[in-house]
Amino acid sequence: MNRHRYAVCALLLGSLTLSACGGTAADAGDQPRQGGTLVYATGDDEPTCLDPQKGGNVAQALLGTQHLQTLFYQNSSGEILPWLATSWKQAADGLSWTIEIRENVKFSDGTALDADAVKANLDRIASPQTLSNTGRLALAKVASVEVTGPHTVRVDLKQPDGALLESLAQVWLPIESPTAFARGLDTNCLHPVGTGPYMVESWTKQDSVTLVRNPFFTTPPPDVAHTGPAYLDKIVWRFVPDGTSRFAALQSGQVHVIDVVEPQNAVAAKGNPTLRTLIAPRPGEPVELELNTGRAPFDDIRVRQAFFASIDVAGALRSVYLGTVPQSTSLLSSATRFNVPAPRHAYDPAAAAALLDQAGWAGRDADGYRVRDGKRLSVVLPYSRFIPLENGFYEQLQATAKKTGFEVKLQPLETAKWWIANNTWAYDAIPVYYTKNSPDVLRITYTTAALAESTPGSYHANTVHLKSADLDRLLEEASQTSDDARRGSLYQQAQELLGAGSYTLPIYDQQTRLAHQTKVRGLRLQPSLAMPDLYDVWIA
Amino acid sequence: MSRLALRVLGAVFVLWAVVTLTFFGTQAIPGDPAEAVLGGPGSRSTAAQLAQIRAQYGFDRPLWVRYLDELRHLAQGDLGVSYALKTPVTTLVGQTIGATLTLAGLSLVVAWAVAVVVAVAATRESRIGAALASLLEITAVAVPHFWLGSMLILVFSVGLGWLPPISTPGVAGLVLPVLSLALPLAGFLGQLMRESFLAALDAPFTLSARARGESETRVRLVHALRHAALPAISLSGWAFGSLISGAVVVEALFARPGLGRTLLSAVLAGDAPVITGVVLVVATVYLVLTVVTEAADRLADPRLRSASGQRAGAPAW
Repeated sequence: MNRHRYAVCALLLGSLTLSACGGTAADAGDQPRQGGTLVYATGDDEPTCLDPQKGGNVAQALLGTQHLQTLFYQNSSGEILPWLATSWKQAADGLSWTIEIRENVKFSDGTALDADAVKANLDRIASPQTLSNTGRLALAKVASVEVTGPHTVRVDLKQPDGALLESLAQVWLPIESPTAFARGLDTNCLHPVGTGPYMVESWTKQDSVTLVRNPFFTTPPPDVAHTGPAYLDKIVWRFVPDGTSRFAALQSGQVHVIDVVEPQNAVAAKGNPTLRTLIAPRPGEPVELELNTGRAPFDDIRVRQAFFASIDVAGALRSVYLGTVPQSTSLLSSATRFNVPAPRHAYDPAAAAALLDQAGWAGRDADGYRVRDGKRLSVVLPYSRFIPLENGFYEQLQATAKKTGFEVKLQPLETAKWWIANNTWAYDAIPVYYTKNSPDVLRITYTTAALAESTPGSYHANTVHLKSADLDRLLEEASQTSDDARRGSLYQQAQELLGAGSYTLPIYDQQTRLAHQTKVRGLRLQPSLAMPDLYDVWIA
Repeated sequence: MSRLALRVLGAVFVLWAVVTLTFFGTQAIPGDPAEAVLGGPGSRSTAAQLAQIRAQYGFDRPLWVRYLDELRHLAQGDLGVSYALKTPVTTLVGQTIGATLTLAGLSLVVAWAVAVVVAVAATRESRIGAALASLLEITAVAVPHFWLGSMLILVFSVGLGWLPPISTPGVAGLVLPVLSLALPLAGFLGQLMRESFLAALDAPFTLSARARGESETRVRLVHALRHAALPAISLSGWAFGSLISGAVVVEALFARPGLGRTLLSAVLAGDAPVITGVVLVVATVYLVLTVVTEAADRLADPRLRSASGQRAGAPAW
């Protein structure tokens, strides 16, 4: 029974099924056991700071989910639920939110949670000294935060912001102890203090972070199996960069849970009765290929369509990922609210050839590549290991596109060089992804503002180089409304407009890929960012 | 006196060259050092944030000014503060150097032990034995640390379940990392020693020792082995350097803290002060070891203890 449930979860990979997966521990019939130490081996980077208010990446979110909490909670259907906030109300003009803060909550250092603490946190995230990237961008529309009662704050906005509550449900905007802030940025990095079920005890660099049960804990997430303190005494969060050693450590019983499970290991885990996998999509934009419409050849929609039709995405995914990742069919990940399935991508070399003929790329040179006016049809594609797409995928893409006559120039680059290529527009096609728990990610990555904001050579989120007044209007309006029906309709129109332009080829949803020993029960993912949550976990 | 002064001068020159190469090497790292401070490449920092950091850290000063500044700080023993971690480099190095020296030191000892056993056991009588030893040595030398380590994990951790695949405090966690580093080196040292060992067995001094009636064991262990060990001793300083570079791979594979992992993550993050600090410390260790191996050479080789000093071909620095 248990195994079937997990198999179903792994197959569907839908966020809706996650709560069902989380429930299996209770179905097992045996009682949760108190105590014990769980060893978690992560393949993500070791954070340089444990406080996700500073910076704000996935490595920080993975660990932060165990010891930090947010004002709002986003469930698996994308709805906003109370958490450290108990209620909220938007003003009629949409320019301010009044938020009630939960009473009788203490941080793990004993400091009480109140309106002053919430203001201190939001102000701190917005302050340039904190060096926040993700959190600061999420609060871009916030003008000020006012304390209007002991447990009431009012957030005043420059513009209405329909994504504000979703932003405040991300662990990159956690509510931490203001007493702990007084120790300074660097100390807070080593030892952030929150309201989560565990708290940071120590951090041995290059080795592990040790978390212990938080005695002051009173705020379980709204959709979990139990209330009260966490079952585990301790979590040892080890940094194990090598995928082979990580999986070997799980197989030999040295660790209980691993993440960033490699495809061949996910297959091996399925055949092993003592192991299970928990793989689920992350919200935001999937791992995708975006085309630079700011220069030839992809300034021509026919060439863009031809390029996409020349790539056998399904075939490459099957052979590189061994059937462990499904092909993405929408511009928003399947775990993101208001995602609209696009027409299924079809590998169609004949259609691609016809489009290229129409676009004037009719001739072929000695090497079989298409030419126009003596110029070869070349596509510069820089990629880097931090983008979760295996080298084999690019090679297969290059091989199938060649049959249609595209010369794909693959450029494997280290991280810094890849960002330079991105910032200076030195690409025709580029693999990207963006993690965010809101469809507002479309506004961040496709509007003209995301292009104009950039100074030469600096970061721009609008990788497609898109300037569409229609799209800007749709996404701007969607971001300002809090009416779900209206948001849904606007985001649908936006996705259809983007789909019609053939700017982006979705490949697969970025994933949280866990494998764990069967005796680890109650492991679930927190839906907002699909991060593992060890609150319900016990060891049988 | 003048000999010691020359030595010190030589050491200072080597350290200066290392610092200079590293400084210009880190300048060639793509990416903006201000981004390394703000969270690494892709931090999505604004132009204003970057400008502020550039001014604060002095990245906007001319290259030669920054170079002289770097030399001045290092000369005062100040290794600076990590861009990414905001921790003093001396603290970072202090936390990890012990683990790497232990790993490399034990690997050197194990490599020597294996090499000596192979060399002493070598005989002319068994051609197949010699061919087999030679094959094993060549294989060991040719195998990359990473592959060997992965195989050891598959056999001893996953297959037999004897040893942990990721390092733990204590001896059990050290066995596989040490073997991954030691076996390729043992192959190299073994090849070196076995050849000169066999040559020594045919040398006139062995003949005269046998003529004096000394036992075969004594001939092998004292006379021939001492002769055979000379090139291997001379190369041990170099070998230790190669073990430290191997540690970059092995520490990542076995999730062991150490200088190698510190260096690797610093390079990926463009963290110049940490790169310079680690390289400088490794260079210093290497210098010290060269002095030690030279002294060991003298102990093993009476010819070197004569007044003339240097043996031809022995590395000065």
